[in-house]
Amino acid sequence: MELLIRVSDTLDRVIIKIGKVAAWAGLFLILVTIFDVVTRRFLVLGSTKLQEAEWHLHVVLFAFCLGYAYLKDAHVRIDLLRENLSERTQWWIEVAGCLLFLLPYCGLVIWFGIDFTQRSYATQEISASATGLTHRFLIKAVIPIGFGFLALSGITVLLRKLIELFGPEDLRKRVHDTEEAEVEHLDDIVPPELREHDGNTRDGEPK
Amino acid sequence: MDFYIEDYLPLFMFAALGILLFSGYPVAFILGGIGLAFGFVGMYFDVFSFIQFFNVVPRIWGGIAENLVLTAIPMFIFMGTMLERSGVASDLLHCLQVLLRRVPGGLALSVTLMGTIMAATTGIIGASVVMMTLLALPVMLKRNYNIPLATGTIAASGTLGILIPPSIMLVIMADLLARSVGNLFVAAIIPGFMLASFYMLYILVLCGFKPQLAPPLPEDEGPDTAGGILLLVLRSFIPPLFLVFLVLGSILFGWATPTEAAGVGGAGAILLAAVNRRLSFAVLKDVLERSALTGGMLFGIFLGATCFSYVFRALGGDDIVIDLVESLGLGSWGLLLMLMGIVFFLGFFFDWIEITLIVLPVFSPIIGALDFGDHVAPLEVTYWFAILLAVNLQTSFLTPPFGFALFYMKGVAPPQVKIQQIYKGIIPFVLLQLIGLGLVMAFPDIALWLPRVLLN
Repeated sequence: MELLIRVSDTLDRVIIKIGKVAAWAGLFLILVTIFDVVTRRFLVLGSTKLQEAEWHLHVVLFAFCLGYAYLKDAHVRIDLLRENLSERTQWWIEVAGCLLFLLPYCGLVIWFGIDFTQRSYATQEISASATGLTHRFLIKAVIPIGFGFLALSGITVLLRKLIELFGPEDLRKRVHDTEEAEVEHLDDIVPPELREHDGNTRDGEPK
Repeated sequence: MDFYIEDYLPLFMFAALGILLFSGYPVAFILGGIGLAFGFVGMYFDVFSFIQFFNVVPRIWGGIAENLVLTAIPMFIFMGTMLERSGVASDLLHCLQVLLRRVPGGLALSVTLMGTIMAATTGIIGASVVMMTLLALPVMLKRNYNIPLATGTIAASGTLGILIPPSIMLVIMADLLARSVGNLFVAAIIPGFMLASFYMLYILVLCGFKPQLAPPLPEDEGPDTAGGILLLVLRSFIPPLFLVFLVLGSILFGWATPTEAAGVGGAGAILLAAVNRRLSFAVLKDVLERSALTGGMLFGIFLGATCFSYVFRALGGDDIVIDLVESLGLGSWGLLLMLMGIVFFLGFFFDWIEITLIVLPVFSPIIGALDFGDHVAPLEVTYWFAILLAVNLQTSFLTPPFGFALFYMKGVAPPQVKIQQIYKGIIPFVLLQLIGLGLVMAFPDIALWLPRVLLN
């Protein structure tokens, strides 16, 4: 059991780290887009490369954040009936979901995604546009890799649920606390210092 | 007629989806899992082969990855999240309150106006309603506002975001229906502002007759000199408004594609946060991570829905849907009403992300074939349909007892706010929505006139 916790915690740390690093692709995406918009107005540069770079960054961003979002419990769930179920039933559903849905689905996309990438590599595929980016297989590989991280996050959740279902009380509590600490809560959207903006105080200026 | 069970597999797929979604397991993975499972069922009946699964990957590639239109979405999400975190929204609300302090129902009106302006940036129902509730409800309760009026105003204004461009939902609808994002944005402008003005008119009239429902702010609230007020407006009202007009305007006048405009919006939001002295490395990191999570969630469903709808089609789902619809013998109007009814019902349980991504691919062959004679020109039917769908979804999110937005609101509202009060407060707004929906249906030009004038 200790070992399972250690494995799940390590996977968890790695996937969240990857997600947090990939999140910065969002900033680069904005910067590249702005650069493209500005330079096209004033200089005559080919912007095909830049536009392709934009969707490359978009792919990196969403593919590497799938598993991160699962661990942070950010994927949409239909909670209507779930709230009335006991915790144990919810854990069982999560176990069944990971085994029957998530992992096979990831397996499918990884299996054929590798195939897809290999075909691209074999033909040394480049952009259809003469001035586009080369090495298309690199970005194509991002999809199976992203689903690989998603599968690993599924394994993490699976291990945790198994510990919660069958483990001794102290480990169960430990896992539960880790999960609680990770979940993003709805009301985190608005940080406390911005709520109830009353009077014209601003940045600590006196009223 | 012979009955072969394999002919009906797509229907079973939908049934399985309907049941399994309520397990509470993430929608994205249920969609993918069901697609896979029914592929195997199809293999058992010899109507699907394993190698066909390969097609899911090129579809993901062509539909989601190598798609410059969808690249706008992460940037719009970033723009909305950054504006929320930068304090622009709360400053805006405060400024509006000060400006409208002598108008009956001024606080409610400022919430609606803020919803309309911020609508241009947000668009995931859960997030925007939660933000509006957390920002506005405590202030309104403190001023002894009538609770149903306060909650109704917030919920209705908070859901405007899916309709008023730039809306992420419209980007996705345009992509799925193979239409121009810019045109759809332009088409949504008048209907969106029409609904916002309905809300404001209702609040004004109601609070004019019953001022006790909406106690005004004290006179000394905010700066009292004209110069002070001007400064406040310059500091908190003009910047976000300018950003929104910059983003929308560059699309409207064809200066930039929606994706480029989204990039401008994202950079503008960073700039506003910096001007507000709320930009730090920690804030930037937090906003990027939050946006990445929202994007991961949204594209997770997109990926799952791609797998689901590919298998659905491969098993003959399109034909079944068309056969079913034809066997009903409904005309175009009947079909339109039926689709609207289905979507309205689904809106009780699901956010627009699931509805749009699951329903639109299934029904898009029908939508293209709708014919309304002289009422709507054939080329414009799809745009009109998308706008009707957007207004309909917004209404559905607000309709008790299952309105999606109402649950989110209850989840973050202070405990003295009862769900009954939320229900009571939303009813007038639902009626206004229905009037708006009826008007767009009866007078398609409300949606179609502006794109015709601006873009052709």
